[in-house]
Parts: sequence; structure tokens; C-alpha cells
Amino acid sequence: MTWDTSKNLFKSNSGRPSGMETKNSAENSSSAEATLNSSSSRRSILSSHSKASGNSIREVSFADFGSKPVRHGSRGADSEGLSTSQKEISDEDARLIYINDPVKTNEKFEFAGNSVTTSKYSFITFLPKNIFEQFHRVAYIYFLAIAILNQLPQLAVFGRGVSILPLAFVLSVTAIKAAYEDYRRHRSDRIENNRIASVLVNNQFQPKKWKDIRVGEIIKIHASETLPCDMVLLSTSDPTGVAYVQTVNLDGESNLKTRFAKHETLFKMPEKEKVIGLIKCEKPNRNIYGFQANMEVNGRRLSLGPSNIILRGCELKNTEWGIGVAVYAGRETKAMLNNSGAPSKRSRLETHMNIEIIILSLFLVALCTVVSACALAWLLRHKNELNYLPYYRKKDLVGKDYNYYGVGLEILFTFLMSVIVFQIMIPISLYISMELVRVGQAYFMIRDTEMYDEASNSRFQCRSLNINEDLGQIKYVFSDKTGTLTENKMEFQRVSIWGVDYSGAKSQIEPVGYSVQVEGKVIKPKMNVKTDPELLQLSERRNDTKEGRHVYDFFLALAACNTIVPLVTDTSDPTVKMIDYQGESPDEQALVYAAAAYGFMLIERTSGYIVIDIQGERQRFNVLGLHEFDSDRKRMSVILGCPDKSVKVFVKGADSSMFGVIDKSLNKNILHATESHLHDYSSLGLRTLVVGMRQLSASEFEQWHSSFEEASTAVIGRAALLRKVASAVENNLCILGASAIEDKLQQGVPEAIESLRIAGIKVWVLTGDKQETAISIGYSSRLLTNNIGGSSEASPTPVALIIDGTSLVYILDSELEEQLFQLASKCSVVLCCRVAPLQKAGIVALVKKRTADMTLAIGDGANDVSMIQMADVGIGISGQEGRQAVMASDFAMGQFRFLVPLLLVHGHWNYQRMGYMILYNFYRNAVMVFVLFWFVLFTAFTLTTAINEWSSMLYSIIYTSVPTIVVGILDKDLSRKTLLKYPQLYGAGQRHECYNTKLFWLTMVDTIWQSVAIFFIPLLAYWGSSIDISSLGDLWILAVVILVNLHLAIDVIRWNWTTHAAIWGSIIATFICVTVIDALPFLIGYWAIFEVAKTATFWLCLLACVIVGLIPRFVVKYLYQYYSPCDVQIAREAEKFGNLREVGDVQIEMNAILGPQRR
Amino acid sequence: MSSRGAASSSGGPQLGTSESSTRISKKPKYSRFTQQELPACKPILTPGWVIATFIAVGIIFIPIGLASLFASQRVVEIVHRYDEECVPPIFSGNQLAYIQSSITNKTCTKNFTVPKRMKGPVYVYYQLDNFYQNHRRYVKSRSDKQLRSKAGELDTSTCKPEATTGNNSPIVPCGLIAWSLFNDTYGFSMKNKVLNVSKKNIAWKSDQEHKFGSDVYPKNFQSGGLIGGAKLNASIPLSEQEDLIVWMRTAALPTFRKLYGKIETDLEANDEITVVIQNNYNTYSFGGRKRLVLSTTSWIGGKNDFLGIAYLTVGGFCMFLAIGFILLYVIKPRPLGDPAFLSWNRNPSGIMN
Repeated sequence: MTWDTSKNLFKSNSGRPSGMETKNSAENSSSAEATLNSSSSRRSILSSHSKASGNSIREVSFADFGSKPVRHGSRGADSEGLSTSQKEISDEDARLIYINDPVKTNEKFEFAGNSVTTSKYSFITFLPKNIFEQFHRVAYIYFLAIAILNQLPQLAVFGRGVSILPLAFVLSVTAIKAAYEDYRRHRSDRIENNRIASVLVNNQFQPKKWKDIRVGEIIKIHASETLPCDMVLLSTSDPTGVAYVQTVNLDGESNLKTRFAKHETLFKMPEKEKVIGLIKCEKPNRNIYGFQANMEVNGRRLSLGPSNIILRGCELKNTEWGIGVAVYAGRETKAMLNNSGAPSKRSRLETHMNIEIIILSLFLVALCTVVSACALAWLLRHKNELNYLPYYRKKDLVGKDYNYYGVGLEILFTFLMSVIVFQIMIPISLYISMELVRVGQAYFMIRDTEMYDEASNSRFQCRSLNINEDLGQIKYVFSDKTGTLTENKMEFQRVSIWGVDYSGAKSQIEPVGYSVQVEGKVIKPKMNVKTDPELLQLSERRNDTKEGRHVYDFFLALAACNTIVPLVTDTSDPTVKMIDYQGESPDEQALVYAAAAYGFMLIERTSGYIVIDIQGERQRFNVLGLHEFDSDRKRMSVILGCPDKSVKVFVKGADSSMFGVIDKSLNKNILHATESHLHDYSSLGLRTLVVGMRQLSASEFEQWHSSFEEASTAVIGRAALLRKVASAVENNLCILGASAIEDKLQQGVPEAIESLRIAGIKVWVLTGDKQETAISIGYSSRLLTNNIGGSSEASPTPVALIIDGTSLVYILDSELEEQLFQLASKCSVVLCCRVAPLQKAGIVALVKKRTADMTLAIGDGANDVSMIQMADVGIGISGQEGRQAVMASDFAMGQFRFLVPLLLVHGHWNYQRMGYMILYNFYRNAVMVFVLFWFVLFTAFTLTTAINEWSSMLYSIIYTSVPTIVVGILDKDLSRKTLLKYPQLYGAGQRHECYNTKLFWLTMVDTIWQSVAIFFIPLLAYWGSSIDISSLGDLWILAVVILVNLHLAIDVIRWNWTTHAAIWGSIIATFICVTVIDALPFLIGYWAIFEVAKTATFWLCLLACVIVGLIPRFVVKYLYQYYSPCDVQIAREAEKFGNLREVGDVQIEMNAILGPQRR
Repeated sequence: MSSRGAASSSGGPQLGTSESSTRISKKPKYSRFTQQELPACKPILTPGWVIATFIAVGIIFIPIGLASLFASQRVVEIVHRYDEECVPPIFSGNQLAYIQSSITNKTCTKNFTVPKRMKGPVYVYYQLDNFYQNHRRYVKSRSDKQLRSKAGELDTSTCKPEATTGNNSPIVPCGLIAWSLFNDTYGFSMKNKVLNVSKKNIAWKSDQEHKFGSDVYPKNFQSGGLIGGAKLNASIPLSEQEDLIVWMRTAALPTFRKLYGKIETDLEANDEITVVIQNNYNTYSFGGRKRLVLSTTSWIGGKNDFLGIAYLTVGGFCMFLAIGFILLYVIKPRPLGDPAFLSWNRNPSGIMN
């Protein structure tokens, strides 16, 4: 079950969180989180499940009751649940790998080789495959079908070449783009495949190209080398079998992760003695935090977990070498399996557009039916005279019917032919235009200097190119807190030791770097921390006083009780070395840096001991045991053998879990003082941790040691056993104190949230933090304001809802959901604290299911992935935590505050542009179709087109395509300044002002009027005259093109040179094309334009068509804009005439930090 | 786009290099273009502009309308329908038999009076009604290749059902259009003096030079059992067969005129003109009407009041709209860009919903 849930997180859009039944969801979600998250105390705060918070006894029993932790317990123990992992891998689901025997490994199963192909096509397959892929679009199939129909001689309306021109054009543009992209992929594949790794061949490590590596081979990796495939670690240069890997290429987390080789394989040197063994592991999957296998070596069966595998793409660091056996290669590696690209979502506008496309196809059918019915009537009326009609002449010279198949078939042909003639009613060009416009819009979003993040040197990223316009219609924003609203750069702020609060804030001293001298070299921590002078003094005094001893213990705990790996790096100054603390949790890093600042500098960590420089004196502590963090205990502990031979257990963890294991009978005052300090800290929005310790007596230690040994070598249920051991030793602790870390708000967050709220966007914050922390962050980010009355019933005051994960367990997926939604939708702010990743997705789904409003989720961590994928628009913050969120997102950016320009400015523009462009494209093609249709009524319903076939095909390719794309990319209804100043203008998108059914029908009415004007004015002017069909056709096409472009010109809001060039250029291009076409002697209309352009009537008709066509639109537009102006219109006027006055009624009172308000 | 994901993952090494080059700022370069701040003009439909536009349209359209109406009125046009009259009363019940018979006398003489002075050249047209020269079957039934050069003589595939004779030799010019060539002729006389009708230069020069070959001579034309219309003199190349060229510029609409010839002299008012019509062309089978038209011309072409009336109507309507908008503006003006009209200012409680 644990596996299922954790996988769900990685599957894209797995829909509703699957296992979230009320009863089990706590275990599920917590274990899922544990899978995702690395062990850390930070997570302990974030962790989701707080059933009966503060009651550790219940929790422990609860954990025993059956939750299945996934995280390994100690020293890389396995992650199997209570049930054995061996059982779970049944033989047919497993892959068997014979170590160092690739031949045998691969003989039965064809495992993938290690060469990777990310390219989609080869030289030969490109054409068929690419074209096949392109025809996945229904619209293309429609046009292909029409082109094929047109090839039948009976239906050949257009010339063969002409009829496939538009489709060929669209296909080739897309194909060229695909070919270029694929060429680049080929190149990078080649480089990747030809890299060299050292592989064991004939008991010697020899260089081998990556692409030749096979599953089962033994590979040796040296420091800073990239791993060629997924391998199970066999041994490393470290005697304890530890290897450090950097997974930045995999999940973007730049810190080092520890991986372990099994003791049993540790000392085998493959060069000297042959390693024989069998690994049985699960089938390749994309869960990069999970691995399940067992290994038989020397007749012993060992189980392997995620900490025993190192993955392709990672780099070996801090470890001289590592030897492993390849288990997954090539496309079966987890890195490649995770390489699914951006998720594909479809924009709301496009979904809506499809309805209108269906309406248009009904129009099309209606037109074709009208033509067919009229043709039927005409045929029946002239049935007997068909052969006498000089323009029909049914029979050929010998008296047989020529090209006449009886009324029934004739009508069928007429119908099909009319589909061919009127095909552009469904705008094929719209699809390609939309694609181009989105690329253009993305270009401008990426290039926006306002959305560039200096700190992380990252630009805005558009990962999904389908939903730009959705950004303009967002109604709900779901935000993660840590790393999204806050910087996730932890700063050690306050500390409470032995009931005394030491606040660094009292001193205004600049942080002074603490340093130690070792062998003539100065070692400095990389980061300096503000210190409290009083505490500094105390810590320097060491063990002298009682106070000093507590301080000593406290900082020793901070320095020792963690999984931080210190890295000593050189600096430009040869006498100074920098110490860099690498770890998976920023909280731990902050704590270790703080300890260093107070003189407790962690210098070295191996699996067996740690070296801490305490006030200039190096001390070595044996690490006798380490109980890593897990989300059930929500604490971690370390058992240290001190230099004075005493054995101490240090524990740190979340207050809720720690107070349960602290001996309450001891030091009651201190306990109370610490508790009140904790309360203060969390009210300030600080993240708190409680530290405790206990000295172990020899017997206690022995007892613990034996059970620990037993548990950590257990094959079955190791993790649960280890947890039991941990719980046994983590009790009756003596409280040392508490630390408070500030997770600083990101720059501009309060302003951004206020802007979003004024824009009518509801901001929901979903966090794993404690309620108090969440509320105080809520206040400091102006999410909660003073005038929000907690549970006040007075309707005008805005109400905030604060709910925690425990309650959500009972609400989500039950009938209470509806009530929660009703309640939440009445609140202006919703804060959800202590929620698990899947619950986040559940909350998004709760809203998404019940409203048509657009939702946006923004987050930075792996725990936000499910939420990001669930929401209509997912945004990843490319910040401190890994790249998981970014990989799952549609857009990625550096800072939360960029949400404001993104939504309010770009979203607004994109929506307005896209909405207009779609409507315009419908209109543009429909005008043409209607002009063709009217003419058909005057040709005895025989689908002759007066407009030259080339012209009608070029119509949507050359004559009218460029302006709509240019306008779709560049037009702006309002300036950035106005949009940011009046966030309310964002409402236009939320109210669907630019694209809705009413506008569609209005446009269609206008379309019909314009086509009538274009068609009937020349018709009446030339009725009974000697005009020929080509000349009149030229007049009509020119009238259509000019009218359509002028129509756009009227609607363009901002004319810059590109707009001018596009619109006037198109009209000129049309004239040129029409002229060129009429200069081709083999076409029927040869020289027509030259003849007809000599006459005044031609030009008068053209002018009349355009003016008459535009008058109604112009009048309606003016009346609407002037007498019923929308907000955007007024803002535009104000922008132009510069009389925007300050409007002060939207100021929301804001207070910095207030006492927490309970639900 | 899937390419992104692929690039980022296959590119282990690429990512590595990007990390080392983080010092190179990725900050987008500022330009007015990329920041979408190109200098732009932002027209707004203010009452002033709208009213001015309508007045301008009115001012332009009304004179044009008057001028074209005037020009159209000055065109003198004599239209004479003869298809019914030229069938002898005996055949009035069976016009088809009359026109199809090869022995009946098709000559028909008519007189009419010139109502007003007609300044030369006076154009002579024939007008057909209900004749779908734009019928798809008809329009397609021609071979431009064949018409253009002798080499294309055999290219008759598009001409069916009038492509080849029974023994498969090509018909030149082939196709229904040529086959149905109009074959009524008119002979004009005034005061017993023959009025010369020039049949030269009635077709487009471009057609004569490039579309109809000077080396292409009619061949096997109208030789089948079904005679569609006029026969062609086989010794004259197609480029000189101007009647055919005019006919083959197919009309756009089912009611059309074709130029028959030009009378180069002026016709005075009350001149009596006699026209001898050879009524050969069969429009009786489809109820088409035939008219003979004599018309002068003006800058706007033939007689057609529609454009003039349309321009006057549109111009007048625009003027009317302009006045309406002025009144509306006077009665109910709205200050432009007044924030008080913004929806959230009109309804301030709506913000916190």
C-alpha cells in the first residue's frame, strides 16, 4: 500500500488521491510524505499527521498498529513494511540479475541496453512517424479527409495540388520544427552514449562506452563521475560502505545524499575474487525514492532498499570510488523513466472553443444541406431538360449520360463537394496560429525582466505551451508555504536553553564568524550566524557552571544530532578553509551552523564517529546509533559515546512529539518556560524544535545495543523493529531547550498576496506547518488581516477558515466535502495546516470538482507535485528544494511575487489576446465561407467558386494569417502599470469577458452581415452586366481580405510598427498575390484584375463593401464602449487621457503580527 | 512540449555545465520589444472621432453617389427583348420545335427609335437570362492548353462531353463553352443605310495574345449530331475569333451581357433603327430570355443606378448616425476614463466576495 501511494505522487495526474479513505489516510499520507521527503527535522514540523496532537503514547501505539514507514530506519536499513518485501516481489514481477554475469543475466530476459535514445525519429522513420503523430489531431484528419475527397474525379472542386496546399503547409511547418528539435536530441544522445565508464571485464576494470554497458556488469565509479546507469552499491572506498551522491541532475537537490553498500559485499574486491550473487529486484519504475530488492550473496539473503541504489545521472562526491552492479540500464533507468516531459493540459479557452467548433461544423452541415436541397429541387425541376441545357448537356456525343449518376448520387456529390468548398468553416489555420501565438507569448513571458530572479539567476520558464491564456482566468490560488511564500533559507533566530530565552535580536552586533585553527589552518563555517552575546559568553565558559553545562549539552545536541555531512573546501586564501555543511534539510543546516557559531563546530562525520571542535578543542564522539527521522515519531535521535566514556542519547524533534517523551516530573518550571517560549516563537512564525537528552546507564545501553543490532540486521520488518527500538530509548528525556528558526518570507509576498486578493483571486495556503506558525505567517503575509473576524457571523466582515490536516482526514472523500466547500467558499482566506501532499491535491480537487473556476497551484517541493498536477495551472518555484515541483509544473519561476505580473499582466494579456484571436479566426473564415455560399446560390447550386481556387487556399495562409498572429502576440489592451495598479481589472478574465458564447453569436451575426455586404453589393452593381466570373471573383476576394483586415484594425488596441506592417502588409500582399495569379496565362482568370481594375465601378464596389460591412460593428462597438463601458475600457481611456485618480477604497487594513486567532 | 523534458534529462552533462556557469547572468536583456513596450498609438473610439468618421463617410459617399447616379442617368440604353417576338405565332405553342428545326426561317426584323442622342461608340450587347454560364459543369468544360497552342490540341480530357468526335479526333475548340457559342446575329440599318457594327476589339487584348493561339484553327467543331451554337470559320485562328473569346470569358452571374460589337457613329434622338435578327440560339429549352442592348457608356460603365443609390443611402445613413451620435452625446455625455465608472467603485461591496 505504501508503494502505491508513493507512486501515485509521481504518476502524472493520478486523479483523486487514491487511498484516502478516512480511516487509513493518515498512515497513507504520512508514509507517502516520508517517501518523498528526506529525513529531517524540518519535515518533522511539516509532517502531516497529527492525530491527537501531543499525545505521543497514542501515536506510538498508532504507529505500531500498522502504519508502514517507508523511510529506512538506521544506517541504511531497508524500507520494507511489516510484511516482507521478499514476498512482495513475486517471481514474475521481478527481474533477476546475476552479479558480474551479464551473459546469464541477459539471456533469459532482454533487459534494455544502456544506450539511450531521447530522439524520436531516425532518418528513415522521420517522415512516416512525424506525419502519423501530427494526424493525432482531429482537425488534421478532417482536412486530410477533405483533401482525399477532393482527389475523386467526381468531387474535384479544386485542383489536386491546390487542395492539399493548406494541409501540406501546416504539416511541413510542424515537421520542420520537429526535425530541428530531434536533430538536437540526436546530438546530445550521441555525446551521452559515448561517454566512458570503467567496467569489470575479465577481472579487470576496463573503459567501456556507456552505450555498451549491460545489466549485471560491475562498474567502478570514481569521485565526481556521473553514474551511467542505476546500480546497486557493492562497496565503496569508505570502510563502512558509505557513498555520497549528488542528485542535482535527477531531482535538483544539490545537497549530498548518503548511500550504503551492504556489509556483506563491502570487502569483496571484484578484481581479486569473483563476486557471485543474485539480485532480485522490482521491475523498472519511475519512483526515484523507492527501490525494493533482495540480494543473495554467499547463501545469505539481504534485502536492499532505496539507500542501496545509486541512480543514473547522479554524481559520486566525497567518496574516492564506488563499485556497483548495474540493475537498470538505458531507458529503464529511473532517470529516463522520469523523463516524461511537461504534462499536457488543455486550456479552458480551448475546451470552450471546441464547443464553438462544433457549432461551426453544424453551420457547415447546415450550409451543405441547404445547397444540396436546393440542388435537388433544381435538378428535379429541370430533370427532363438537362440534356437541352447548353450549360449542362447530360449526354455525350454517343448519347450516354456523361458524369451524371442519377439524382440521388448527384445530391450526395453536391453535399460532399460543398463540404470541400466550405471546408475552411472549421479554421485549420487557427490551430497553427494558436500554437505560434503561444510560443510568442511564452517568449515574452520568459523575456520579462520583472520575472527574472536575481537570487537564483533564473528566468521564468514556460514548460507547457498549452495554457498561457488560462493564466488570465484564475480564481483560486493554492500555495505551499515553505519555500513558496517563504524563502526556505533557514535562519537561526532564537533559542531557549534550560528555560531561558536568548534572543539574538537584543544585540545589534554583526555576525562574527567563528573559526578554529587546525594545523596552522583556519577553518571557518561557510555561513555566519547572528549570535547572542550573553549566550556566547555562556557557551565559552563551558562546563564550569550548571548553566554552562546545559548550554554545552544543548549545542552538542545541535551539532551531533543530525545527518549533516561537513565538507571542507579550499578558499582563495590557502590558510583558510571553508566548512560547508551538506544535508538534506535546511533546518538542520541552520542548526549546525548555529552550533558552529557558538563554538561547537562539526568537523568530520563518518558512519562510526563524529569530530566536533568544541571551543577550539577537537573531540571525537562515537556514534553508537542513529535513529533517523520518520514522520510517525517526528523526531530523531543519536546515541553518542562521549570522550568521558559516558553514553548519551540526544533527541530533537517537533514539540508535539517531544513533550510526550520528556520526563514531565523533572524540571517542571523549565518545561513550562520552554513551552511558553515555544508558543512565543511559533506565534512569531518561527519554526521550532525541542531538544532533549538522557544519559544511558550501562545496562540500558547494553539492552538498547543488543536490540538495535538485532533490529538492524533483521531481514523482515526491519524498519518497524528499528522504530520500536528508537521509541524504547527515546523516553524519559530531560529537556534541554528549544530552537527557533526563521523561515523568512520571500520578498514582496505580502504585497503580492494583497494584489491577488484585490484581483478577486482567493488565496488558499496549504502547509505542513503547525497551526500557530501557519497563522502567524498568514498575518505577516497579509493573508490574514486585523479585520478578519475569526468566527464572526456579521456578514460584511471577511472570514478566514483555518483547518488542519487531521480534520481534513475526516472531511475529504466524505459527504462533508460539500459542506467544507460551502464554508470555504464563503471565506476570503483559507489556511490549511499540517496537510500531507496527497491532501493538498485533495483540497485542490475539492474546489476543482465543484466550480468551473480556474485553479492554480504553486509550490516548490516534491510534496507539492500532486497539487501542481491536479490544479488547472501548476507553477513550480525553482528554489531551494528540488526540481520535482518544477518538473511537474506548467510554469516555473523564481519567486512567489512573480505571480502578480504573471497573472495580472501576462495572464490578462494572454487571455485577452487569445480570446480575441479565436473569435477573429472564426469570423475570418466564416466570412469567406458565407461569400462562397451566397455565390453558390447563383450558380444553380453547383459549387462553382468565383474566387480563384488559389486565392481561396492562400486566404488563410497568406492573406489574413499574419495580422492575427501579430495581434495575438503583441496587442495589449492595457499597460503593465495600469494592470498592476488596478488588480481588479483581472476580473475581465474571470468573468470570461473576452470569449463567451454571447460574443461568439454576436460575431457570427456580424459575420453574416459582412458577408452579405461583400457579396450583394457587387452582385447588384454587376447584375446583367458583362462582368466575367474571374473579375468578380477578384473583387470579392479583395473585398473580403480588406474588410477582414480592417475589422482587425478597428479592434487593435495598440498600434506599433509591427501591427502596421502586418495589417497593411497583408493587404498589399493580397493585391500582389491576386495580381500574380491573374498574370498566369494558364489560369482561367488571366489578366482579369488588370481589366477590372481599370473600371471605376470596381473601386466603388470595393469601397462600398468595406464601409457597409464595417458600419454595424463600428456603431455597436462605439455605443457599447461609450455607454456601457467595461472596466478595461475605462482604464484604457484613463490611461490615454491620464486622469486616473487615486481610488482609496480598496485599501485593506493590515497589521503586522497579531496574537494567533484560533479557529 | 516533450522536447524540453527530454533535453533536460538526457543532458546530464549539460546540466552539470550549466551549474558551473551560473555566474553568467541569465537576466533577460532589456529592450522595448521584449518588454512589450514598443511605442504605440492607442486609438480610442471617442465621440469626436466616431462622429467625425461618420461625417467624413457621409461627405465622401454622398457626392460619389450623386456623381454615379448622374453618370448612370446619362447613359442611354436601348433594351429590346426579342426571343418571344421572333417566334412566328404558329410556333408559339412549340417554340422548341421552331428553334431546333433547320428549315424554319429564323430571320426577324425589328424597329426601334433612339430615345436620346447616343454618342458613339454605341455598344451592342446581347443579354441572356437564366443562362448559368457559371454552372460548374460548364465552367470546367474547356481546355486552356488546347486553346493556347497547337501542341495542346489533344488535351481534351477536361472537355467532356464535347471532347472528341466519334472517331476520337479532337474537337478544337473543345468543351461545352465553345460548343454553346451564341449564334444570333444582328444587322443594323438606319434610314435604309447599313449601320456598320464593328466586331473588332471586342475581346480582351490579353486573351487574344496569350490565351487563344494564333496557330490554333477550329477543327471538327460542331460536327457532331448535336449542334450547340455557332460554327466557326476553320480558316481563322482562334486568336482572331473574337466572338468566341468574348463568349469564353464566362459570365459571373446567370443574367449577363456579352459585347456583340460597336457602332462607331453617333445616333441621334428619334433615329429609327431597323435590326435584322437571325434568331438561331436556343434559349427556349431552358426558358432563357434574349435581349438586344444598345448602350452608351460613361465613367461608371453601363446604366446601373444601384451604386449611386447605394452610395447615397450609405452616405445619408452615416450623416444621420453622426447627427444621432451628436444628439446622444449632448444629452448623455460620459466623462472618459472616469474611475467612478469602474465596476468596483460602483459596487464597492463586491470586492470581498
